[in-house]
Amino acid sequence: MGQEGFKKVSRTEEDSPCPFPGLASGVLEMRVKEGSKIRNLMGFAMARVGGGLRQVVFTGSGRAVTKTITCAEIMKRKVGCLHQLTKLQYKVMKEVWGSTEGGGSGMTVHRTVPSISILLSKDPLDPKEPGYQPPQILSISACSELLTANSRHQRSV
Amino acid sequence: MTDPRNPDSASQAIEMDPVEYTLRKRLPRKLPKRRNDVYVNMKTDFRAQLARCQKLLEGGAHREICVHGLGLAINRAINIALQLQASSQGALQLAANTSTVELVDDLEPEDPDEAGEPMTRTRNNSAIHIKVFTEFPTPAKG
Repeated sequence: MGQEGFKKVSRTEEDSPCPFPGLASGVLEMRVKEGSKIRNLMGFAMARVGGGLRQVVFTGSGRAVTKTITCAEIMKRKVGCLHQLTKLQYKVMKEVWGSTEGGGSGMTVHRTVPSISILLSKDPLDPKEPGYQPPQILSISACSELLTANSRHQRSV
Repeated sequence: MTDPRNPDSASQAIEMDPVEYTLRKRLPRKLPKRRNDVYVNMKTDFRAQLARCQKLLEGGAHREICVHGLGLAINRAINIALQLQASSQGALQLAANTSTVELVDDLEPEDPDEAGEPMTRTRNNSAIHIKVFTEFPTPAKG
């Protein structure tokens, strides 16, 4: 890639299709970036989940993938009884490079980076969907409490 | 680092002085390895690992392979899985699972004459397990 004499002007994410079709609109989407602090992300997400939110999506791409998984793993451990759906896809980044030696010539580069989306849900998900993980039972009391909450939720729907 | 005013404070026992200990990371626990398991690392050449996966799938012996990645290698594992899927013209599907792996570090005192004792501590790291399989249904497994 002859990049001498060129400078990156901008970098934008192209819109990619939502990996979870048919997801309710009120779902919290946590976009994990390379520099995000896990403390900040978890502080915000846990507060929302504690406030009665039923589904959270963690997404991250490139070097933020590991952090995204770590966030989901921490939440699973703290909340317990969460159904998980993991999806992988390539995300297309559009980079615009401009010439540094005057001249109006520039070029656009499409770069693909791997990205991950993890849906955590208190409500059951389709177990046949590829990438589904059932909740790990940590303690029975937490689960039974959640089950009653679930049935209450289903009755109200 | 050391506070001259209270030499026998709790910091002595709990906090590690980086000068007096060497941190030695143990290898992650060995996980089961079937013929169709691929553990991705960051030392082997990327193309070699990709070729290995392709060979396993094209060989016909396996309908599905499992690509595992730990920590930094998660990215590479995802990349390999997505590359396999892209080059299969839609024949392959991915099913990713995540997990936490417990790792053990050894803390060895640099100077044996000092009071420091060898210690171990555990920490967690994230891992990914990606099942790469052909579109038509395979026998379900746990």
